[in-house]
Amino acid sequence: MSAIDIHSVGVTIDGAVLLSDVTLSLEVGRWYTVIGPNGAGKTTLVETVAGVRSPSTGSVLIEGHDVHALKERDRARLVALVPQHPVIPAGMDVWDYVILGRTPHHGLLRGGSASDDALVDDVLARVGLTRLAHRDVTTLSGGERQRAVWARALVQSTRVVVLDEPTTGMDVRHQTEMLELLRREVDECGLTVLATLHDLTLAGQFADDLILLEGGRVRETGLARDVVRSPALSAAYGTELRVVDVDGADVVVPVVTRVSERVVTSSA
Amino acid sequence: MIVAAGAALVIGVSSVSGTAAIGDVLSHLGIGHTSLNDVQDAIVWDLRAPRVAMALVVGAMLAVAGGSYQGVFRNPLADPYLLGIAAGAGLGATIAITRIGNPASSGIPTFTPWLAFGGAMAAVALTWSIGGRGGRNTAATLVLAGVAVSSLLTSVQTYLQQSSSSSSIESVYLWLLGSLSGASWAQVWLIIPYVVMCTLVCIASGRALDVLSVGDMESRALGLPVSRVRFLVIVASSFGTAAVVSVVGLVGFVGLIVPHVVRLTVGTSYRRILPLCVTFGATFLVLADSVARSALSGAEIPLGVVTALIGAPVFVIILNISRRPTT
Repeated sequence: MSAIDIHSVGVTIDGAVLLSDVTLSLEVGRWYTVIGPNGAGKTTLVETVAGVRSPSTGSVLIEGHDVHALKERDRARLVALVPQHPVIPAGMDVWDYVILGRTPHHGLLRGGSASDDALVDDVLARVGLTRLAHRDVTTLSGGERQRAVWARALVQSTRVVVLDEPTTGMDVRHQTEMLELLRREVDECGLTVLATLHDLTLAGQFADDLILLEGGRVRETGLARDVVRSPALSAAYGTELRVVDVDGADVVVPVVTRVSERVVTSSA
Repeated sequence: MIVAAGAALVIGVSSVSGTAAIGDVLSHLGIGHTSLNDVQDAIVWDLRAPRVAMALVVGAMLAVAGGSYQGVFRNPLADPYLLGIAAGAGLGATIAITRIGNPASSGIPTFTPWLAFGGAMAAVALTWSIGGRGGRNTAATLVLAGVAVSSLLTSVQTYLQQSSSSSSIESVYLWLLGSLSGASWAQVWLIIPYVVMCTLVCIASGRALDVLSVGDMESRALGLPVSRVRFLVIVASSFGTAAVVSVVGLVGFVGLIVPHVVRLTVGTSYRRILPLCVTFGATFLVLADSVARSALSGAEIPLGVVTALIGAPVFVIILNISRRPTT
């Protein structure tokens, strides 16, 4: 059984078609990254899969359950969401923020159990936030804050996690650290990840598969190393892209002609 | 809270010692015997004790409702009157005093609380029907709808007042500024079931309000039925507030500043804030009412004036404390 089945999903808002006839089947224990130019529908797709946005047509099944037909609590036990711009509540410490991820596992009237507390401690250690557990979450750096959001998603204990631009606003080192954390959870815990990323090099290096969106439609899917070399990639972004091998790693670079050179060429 | 309530039993023109006053109250609860004579007993048990009890109940309810509103709207400036309760209750009371009661008399008719309660609940229902049905920005649209409804009802109230006799206008203002001077045990027992029920619902929603602090979309992703939680908390807060306001009039600032004071003490979790709002709110209103009835000899300051006089500077202090950079 697939982890995520997306059947003919379309999303239209106020006459604007954001997604059209998207059909995908995502396998258990793999990392899929959605790529595409701005406005391609990446965020719409991950929010629809996470169940926080309803499709106009089609359906999304996670582990065989239609996520839009489930109650919020049941859905939150199947899929966790890391949004692009998470709301960070002022004054809440990291530990209290992370344990919000246990919400779907106990009633709203009942507090968390000792096992919930132990899980939060364990996850904080895994993401390297133990020493910051009692810091106000708003005082964390961008990278630490994103790790706290990631920890909240892990504490939710779902087998599917959806992330929208999890490295937004991070420097290169923190981006790499964050994606390595993700990779470890996929490899060691069999997590299924659907993420969006703008950086094509990082997308190609960390994900197992890429999904190329353009204009709300799927243009290409497949193994990451194949999609980054596909002519469809340059066509979707409207600029020539090349893959350069750096010590065995694929680096995607745009082919840019300098303005001064263009002027000289055109004068000649 | 207990110390403040005990002190409030002693404050007054008739001199009664603290131990005698507390002994008198306990004797009515079946514990021991009173040392007071009949007149002193009537002053303590029939006049002061219901007033203190009413202050405890009203203060607790307004503070819990204010904290709940701040959580459900994720807005630190929210107070229990945000959705039109004050304007609705004010209009109901104005109709009772200027149109149904005897316009020539200066008293407040006995049925005023019922019309004030009806007005408050009607205002909230109208606000909800305009701004609370589905949509993606329910919290924001509800607040805007509350502003519109409040403006509408206040303008109607103003029209009714300007076309009324000066004596009834005086009565309306007396009611609007809030007072515990007419508090009786009958009134206390009338509102206690509502206050207890609504307070328990709000406190039980503390965990949900903590989740809601990450926004509607993330709360839904965390499994919170956002619309149902928001509806439940608003209904409980509004119902409790309408119940107390209908009896004592409009008492401002309690629902705004008490949750902020508690937040400074115990942090931002509503699981800790809301239970403490009960004691902090009750204590604050008992103290404010003590000031209202004892600051001037021979006259009583309207309770709403006292809470505003205390509340405004306290709010400024809180604002300055919360602006300080953390180290």
